[in-house]
Amino acid sequence: MGVFNLKKGYDIALQGRAERRREKALKTTAIAVQPKDFRGLRPRVEVTAGDTVQRGSVLFVDKQRPEIVFRSPAAGTVRGIDRGERRAILRVVVDTTADSAEKFENYSSTQVSTLSHEDAKKLLLTSGLWPALRQRPFDRMANPDANPKSIFISAVDSAPLQAETDFLLEGREQDFQLGVDLLSKLTDGSINLSLSAKTESFFMGIQGVEKHRFDGPHPAGNVGIQIHHVDRIVSGDVVWYISPRHVAQIGSFLSKGEYPGAKTYALTGSGLEDHHYVVGTEGALVSDLVSQTIPVKEKRVISGHVLTGTKTAADLYVGFYDDMITVIPEVEGRRFMAWVSPGFNANTFWRVFLSKLIPGKQFAPTTDMNGEERAFVSSGEYEKVLPMDVLPVHLCKAILVEDIELMEQLGIYEVSPEDVALCSYICPSKIEFGDIIQKGIVTMEKEG
Amino acid sequence: MKPLIRFLNNMDTKIKKGPFKIIHPMFGAINTMLFTPGHATSKGPHIRDSIDMKRFMGIVIFALVPSILVGSYNVGYQAGVEGIFAAFMFGFLKLLPILVVTYAVGLGWEMIFGYLRGHDIHEGFLVTGILLPLTLPPTIPLWQVAVAVSFATVIGKEVFGGTGMNLLNPALTARAFLFFTYPGDISGDRVWVALDGFTGATPLAAAAAAQGSAVEALNAAGFTLDRLFFGFVSGSIGETSAIAILIGAAILLITGVGSWRIMLATTLGAYGMALLIQFLGADATGMRTLPAHYHLVMGGFMFGMVFMATDPVTAAGTNAGKWVYGLLIGFMVILIRTFNPAYPEGMMLAILFANVFSPLIDHFVVKANIKRRLNYGK
Repeated sequence: MGVFNLKKGYDIALQGRAERRREKALKTTAIAVQPKDFRGLRPRVEVTAGDTVQRGSVLFVDKQRPEIVFRSPAAGTVRGIDRGERRAILRVVVDTTADSAEKFENYSSTQVSTLSHEDAKKLLLTSGLWPALRQRPFDRMANPDANPKSIFISAVDSAPLQAETDFLLEGREQDFQLGVDLLSKLTDGSINLSLSAKTESFFMGIQGVEKHRFDGPHPAGNVGIQIHHVDRIVSGDVVWYISPRHVAQIGSFLSKGEYPGAKTYALTGSGLEDHHYVVGTEGALVSDLVSQTIPVKEKRVISGHVLTGTKTAADLYVGFYDDMITVIPEVEGRRFMAWVSPGFNANTFWRVFLSKLIPGKQFAPTTDMNGEERAFVSSGEYEKVLPMDVLPVHLCKAILVEDIELMEQLGIYEVSPEDVALCSYICPSKIEFGDIIQKGIVTMEKEG
Repeated sequence: MKPLIRFLNNMDTKIKKGPFKIIHPMFGAINTMLFTPGHATSKGPHIRDSIDMKRFMGIVIFALVPSILVGSYNVGYQAGVEGIFAAFMFGFLKLLPILVVTYAVGLGWEMIFGYLRGHDIHEGFLVTGILLPLTLPPTIPLWQVAVAVSFATVIGKEVFGGTGMNLLNPALTARAFLFFTYPGDISGDRVWVALDGFTGATPLAAAAAAQGSAVEALNAAGFTLDRLFFGFVSGSIGETSAIAILIGAAILLITGVGSWRIMLATTLGAYGMALLIQFLGADATGMRTLPAHYHLVMGGFMFGMVFMATDPVTAAGTNAGKWVYGLLIGFMVILIRTFNPAYPEGMMLAILFANVFSPLIDHFVVKANIKRRLNYGK
């Protein structure tokens, strides 16, 4: 077991962590599966408005690789297909009705252990859970034809207010183990399970994985950081990763022979009054999970956490990869001379506001940019929040001038926008590091 | 506050579309200084740090306050004005016109370039505009200040692309311009005391001119170590008081706005080099006999180290590079001070020299990173 004590990084102290208390969703009225959750996916929709679907029915497939299917997490009637700019498909919405599930074969752990590589791959593709597997470099859905050198599962919760993995998966040890058993058929390399230094949960008893301990502030829980420290990606390498919850979902699919539609969410953020966990459906409508009314202009609903989550709303849905909803106040308007204020309530990484002197203070920041974009000025601080041997500013500059060779040399294969989210957070020049890294990734994908 | 914000928002639209849109960069800067822009994030990270460039630069200006106060007092004190407040006011009224000219000319250029490039005036000039006057003698002719600021802003900064893109520190570029074009008004014996016809050498000049031991010559001229430390000696307005600059340094280091690596490396470089020169020059005279710690409190060393060398735009950007960059400045300043017969001060040139080399220094650090990365696979 490797032990990694990461010193670099930063934990933003936010108000609104979810209590370890599980409640049932208020209701289930609608769900949606959203192609935009899967970067670069071009979907071919297999249903039309009015169709009746079961839990586990195919809603759409990947146009380029139709063997990758996306299944409905609930039974109901297809309400329609929401489209955005240039008629891009945003989501397929299903109005839910009484539960009924499409049946698949079920597997015991002995049966799984005898599966061949090809059968395991086919099984996972059929399950509709293939999209849960993502790859590095380039942070996108895994390509079934690739041969990953290893698979990473991070059970380290370091992101702001992140849902606690061991609580999400309480009592699902067998599902998780079965999921790991199937994944081990997909790679000749190892399955790496990262745990936080204090974890004492069932993960300790999981077989067939290499366990690593990661301690330190965010982004220690990001797989990108863990891959960098355990099994670095160099040109030509492919590493897959998957969230622990999805591993358990795979196990559940195998043992029950049904698409597992249930999902537990953490409700977090200073914009909510009650913070707890709620058991709902994958792709749930936000207002089915949150009892409080959320005024659109005053509060922002985020599917995921504040650093990399996507903007959603009470009448919209939670993303496929997200198991938390964060609600924070929207910007209040223009504030008087904030740049000379003492800043007792100012959230900051820098030691430039007096709030730094209040130990243990938790903040409730709004969506205020707190400034305007400027040229790169500051130096040396970004490295403090990126626990990798990567020079973020130089990598970004290489991307901006589209120097492909230099991008490669400086580590474009190792980073994803989520790894540099803290760089954007702390930046006094308000530079969007994530956008720049994304641009670099798109450039590399086009090249290769 | 609400009506005022509404008024400013209206003005903003009117100026942007009206016949005076050239002043919009200036108005925008003042507007966002009074009230935050209030823009919302559009995507993740949905929350942002409370710091912005205004706060960042504001901290530097805050750190300069002790130097402004003590420097102003010292200008009056050197001119023989009695009383602390009277001396301060005398000096402050010498500093103020220089400050006003620097800001007026500099911000004028920044406004024009901001208009051409379509952005507000950037905060960098707020710092440059205070730094430059503090590096000048109190007697500097104002028209020269105007010419130097124009040169530094247009040729030194804007032609490179503006704030963040410049190779050389703008304040030092302006000072170097004055130094090479009008040396009579920024060096020698006649410029340091703000009284007509009064001559007096700076401590560095006194040490350089010494026939025997530099320390004896300094003591004879009244430049004792404690006076040098507190700053009651002749020199550029803001550079003389080591203690005032150290308070500023503490502010920069506590807030993390100034790089401790650069400050430490510059000090170590200068101290080490001065020790070496003193060790080698056992039978030397003048500057070469000066003990290393004297160098640290004399002339522009301290001010340059704390406020100029740490300029994040023109310094090396990598952490390893900052060490090399700082050591280079320290080495160069002592080299120039001891071996250049024409001019006893070396800090300005040492920093500008290191500014030119900082991209190269970073280049080697980046190359080392690339080499390390290539070795992963092996």
